[in-house]
Amino acid sequence: MLGKTQTKPIIRLVDVYKEYRVGAISTLALKKVNFQISNGQLIAIMGPSGSGKTTLLNMIGLLDRPSKGKIFFDGVDISRLDDRTLASLRNTKLGFVFQTFNLINRLTVFENIELPLIPRGIPRNLRAKMVLEALTKAGGEESWLHKKPNQLSGGQQQRVAIARAIVGKPVVLLADEPTGNLDRASAKTVVETFLNLNKAGHTVVVVTHDPEVANCMDKIYVIRDGEIVGEFPPKKSESLISKE
Amino acid sequence: MFMDFVRLALKALSERRVRAALTITGIAIGPLVLVMMSSVVGSYSTYIEERITSLGQNAIAIFPTENYRLDEEDLNYIRAVESVKRAEPFYNTQGLVKRGTEEAKIAIFAVDYSLLFEAIGSLEIDEGAIPPETEVISSIIGRKIAYKNHERHFGLGDVVTVTVPKIEGGKITGKKTINLMVGAILKEYGGALIVDPDSTIFTCLEAGKRLFGMERWSGILVLADSPTNVKPIVSILRQYYEDKAQIIAFSSIAEAVSSVTSAINFINFSTSLSAFAVAIAGVAATMITSVMERTKEIGVMKAIGYTNGQILLLILMESIMMSLVGGTAGISLGVVGAYFLSSRGFRIGGIGESGITLQLSPLITPSLIAQTLTLTILIGLVGGVLPAYRASKIPPVVALRYE
Repeated sequence: MLGKTQTKPIIRLVDVYKEYRVGAISTLALKKVNFQISNGQLIAIMGPSGSGKTTLLNMIGLLDRPSKGKIFFDGVDISRLDDRTLASLRNTKLGFVFQTFNLINRLTVFENIELPLIPRGIPRNLRAKMVLEALTKAGGEESWLHKKPNQLSGGQQQRVAIARAIVGKPVVLLADEPTGNLDRASAKTVVETFLNLNKAGHTVVVVTHDPEVANCMDKIYVIRDGEIVGEFPPKKSESLISKE
Repeated sequence: MFMDFVRLALKALSERRVRAALTITGIAIGPLVLVMMSSVVGSYSTYIEERITSLGQNAIAIFPTENYRLDEEDLNYIRAVESVKRAEPFYNTQGLVKRGTEEAKIAIFAVDYSLLFEAIGSLEIDEGAIPPETEVISSIIGRKIAYKNHERHFGLGDVVTVTVPKIEGGKITGKKTINLMVGAILKEYGGALIVDPDSTIFTCLEAGKRLFGMERWSGILVLADSPTNVKPIVSILRQYYEDKAQIIAFSSIAEAVSSVTSAINFINFSTSLSAFAVAIAGVAATMITSVMERTKEIGVMKAIGYTNGQILLLILMESIMMSLVGGTAGISLGVVGAYFLSSRGFRIGGIGESGITLQLSPLITPSLIAQTLTLTILIGLVGGVLPAYRASKIPPVVALRYE
């Protein structure tokens, strides 16, 4: 069990810029972002569409490299790491949850959840145990294991996606608009799952434009035009889980 | 992990069954053609080479041209050539044998019996014994003359009536009928292409002159003391006779046949390679489409920790799987096709009863299967490597944004 200590920064962004270029046109998606995530935190990153939320999440998730500035993961400057090492870090330390679930429909729920364990070379019998454990933790049911994702509802699919994200016991769970494609009831279940995972010791970072989801977290960062404009405490009374 | 990649590749292929099946069909054509043609050509060429080789690796035949007449002086010269073990003249002609109501075309060789059996080592007597050289009318007849469809026509001591061309002054002036006695019957030989002992009547040398009235030797049969000395003897004789006679070593015929069949095999291999090239294009097209359709999925795989190398292996595995299935199907169909082609037989013309029909099992060897399968796997590798490389190099954020 991971402890909820909230002390040691696991990810630190220092003066991070991200510029996208299409021909002669350049767009600055992130501007001098300084930001850190400590172990055990429950964070929301809020902002309107095009504000740079997903770009920031991609940086935190080691999916992209900054145009300028530095990102430290567990104290190590990632600019010194090659793609293979970054892939290994993503596999062992990070878990991703996407708005559109991004499950592979030709594979069963079991096969989807076990995907991150394959590159680690974990034997199939041990994987079976880990998959069931992760699905249970994500609020899923054992009966789903042999179903295809498209045989499940949106909320159920997102729980499968969460199971896939946590099956490798990551340090940080990153979710990009995880409730964006769900009805309120399903969204509430998913948020509750994140809260439970955080209580179990996972660091959770949720990118959302939904204030009710953001207010469920411990801390809210607001991003606008590529800049973090402030850090706000959540209004628990206006959170999704406070409402019936 | 490798087996998991195989499983994931098979799942990906099963999702696009029709496309995969069409690509596999395209892949299967190359190995089908290669196995079918190579095994059939291989079986016939091996058989032909074996039969020619069986004629004797140290035998040389000298055939005079129309304007040259071989005589005792030639015989003495040849016998004096270094490494020549024996040299004897022979007569040969063609004729007809009356067998009940029908007439069969046959070849007649008048030759020294001991030289004949020494030159063609695999020639064996089935019934009777080699007649003495003094018994001019006694002969040795081939299996197909004595029997037709297992029905016996001639036995030992029977008279065989042969019609041959009548030669006067070196020209054919009509035909004549000669009665020969069956002194021995040969075991089935199986056709030797140049000589077909099964459809031949062998007589002693004297019979050629006295019974058949042949004035000129048809040739001289020479035996070298060892196969390695055949080439030097041929070289000396060619130098001596220039264009007055043809010098043919049976071993060099085997070499010529071998080089012809090698050429046929090469042409067949080249033809198959074009089928393989088309298959590579097919695999590449299928895999590029597949990678494009699965760009987002590749992004997800990268996000959850798959390295570029693992993505490359995953995609490559799919093309290799298609190649393996296509190769196995192609080879299996090639084997079936080879047996079908072989069952139709292959007719080779020759001296005697208008040639032989060969019906042989295709020569399907482990090396042919291994070579074909390796080539087919290469199709998957070559066809899949570019799409796989492209997939592995897609940045994860770009792949995840892909719609």
